[in-house]
Amino acid sequence: MEIFRIENCKKSINGLNVLNDISFSVNEGEVLAIIGSSGSGKTTLLRIATFLDYMDSGEMWYLGKKIVSNVSNHSSYIGQKDLSIDSLKKNKELIKVKSEFGLVFQNFNLFPHWSVLKNVMDAPITVKKRNIDEVREKALTYLKYMGLENKAMNYPCELSGGQRQRVAIARALCLEPKIIYFDEPTSALDPELTSEVLKVIKNLAKEKRTMVIVTHEMNFARDVADRAIFLDDGIIAEEGDAYSLITNPKKERTKKFLQKFKE
Amino acid sequence: MIGIITKILSGAKASLLIFFLTLIFSLPLGLILSSFRMSKNKILNGITVFIISILRGTPLMLQLIVWFFGPYYIFGIKLNPSWRVTSIIIGFSINYAAYFAEIFRAGIESIPIGQFEAASVLGYTRFVAFVKIILPQMIKRVLPPVTNEIITLIKDTSLAFVVAYAEMFTMAKQVAAAETTIVPLFVAGLFYYVFNYIVAYVMERIEKSFSYYW
Repeated sequence: MEIFRIENCKKSINGLNVLNDISFSVNEGEVLAIIGSSGSGKTTLLRIATFLDYMDSGEMWYLGKKIVSNVSNHSSYIGQKDLSIDSLKKNKELIKVKSEFGLVFQNFNLFPHWSVLKNVMDAPITVKKRNIDEVREKALTYLKYMGLENKAMNYPCELSGGQRQRVAIARALCLEPKIIYFDEPTSALDPELTSEVLKVIKNLAKEKRTMVIVTHEMNFARDVADRAIFLDDGIIAEEGDAYSLITNPKKERTKKFLQKFKE
Repeated sequence: MIGIITKILSGAKASLLIFFLTLIFSLPLGLILSSFRMSKNKILNGITVFIISILRGTPLMLQLIVWFFGPYYIFGIKLNPSWRVTSIIIGFSINYAAYFAEIFRAGIESIPIGQFEAASVLGYTRFVAFVKIILPQMIKRVLPPVTNEIITLIKDTSLAFVVAYAEMFTMAKQVAAAETTIVPLFVAGLFYYVFNYIVAYVMERIEKSFSYYW
């Protein structure tokens, strides 16, 4: 089953073409790695998929439902009243779609004034109006999965970076999204802490969670992803099976990029 | 001496009335003004910038005079004696709201954009995200400058003398003139100091209650 699809996505920021005709899709249980150098548009792509940014033209589907369509060569969002960003941010239809996905940020973005448990529990209760006892049980299960069951009552400032990122992953999971996006989840961590976060993501991949991971950890992408996309200058320069793309790239540009990681 | 103190105490009561009512009205008003100030609507934003610049750029004493005399001299409205204290509360509240608005704006803008984005992706509406996530963090950040304003407000209540309101400093001056002694002014000074000492103490306790995170 297809979870996410984007077609002909174009986005320019301040006159610069950040994304130029991007199309891809993600199926249920699939792990897609997006690699590419800084400024190639990886993060912008995730921001568009999660409605933190809006594309100029192109189309998008979640679970087969069309969320963005092209009207006279311009993207039109579902339930959109006018073209202002402000009305898109208030768009109730889009807010509903947000429960289909989760996003894990590079710098965690936990809510510092809440305990770890509250960070994980609050959105399901406040946003999805779930039963508080059920949510608590589920939150504790996920925290245990992250190896953080004894940190539930701590505050984010008392945790290490790796622990914070694992809380952020638990927070995303607790909303039970159909797909989780990771935006360079280990870029703010030192190597030791990186491995504990990567281990968690690997376990999620084993459980056949649908995930899209933007990463600079090539070995990790090779081992964990089913498919990989190499983004260069706002276009998909190469895509295919993750293992062969990373170990044996076809295009010159991809080879050059991957070479840097071998040194 | 007891006569002096009872007179000053009655003035202190009048000053505290201004103080508390101004706080009650100016803090929420400041929050509303700051949201207008940050509005993407250019007209609303422009008007708010202009109003705040007038409120901060002219003496509070002058503003109190305008609020008290304005309705009569500009519009010919006859007002009853209670307008005196009402106009003072309005003048103070709106003036302090302008300062609070800028403090709140600074507080909100200092919160990392990632907090807004995380809330958005988790599906919080903007209003709920503001109340539950942004506001508590903003309050922690603005407590020190807000304490400054509150302390200034206590001392500023003496400006109400300009519309002949019997606040504490006015009373102290009256007694000082009648008894030809400077003691009442010092007594008044001591009162201001004690009030502010209490304010600073309370605000410090509130700050501490937020210190469990950073």
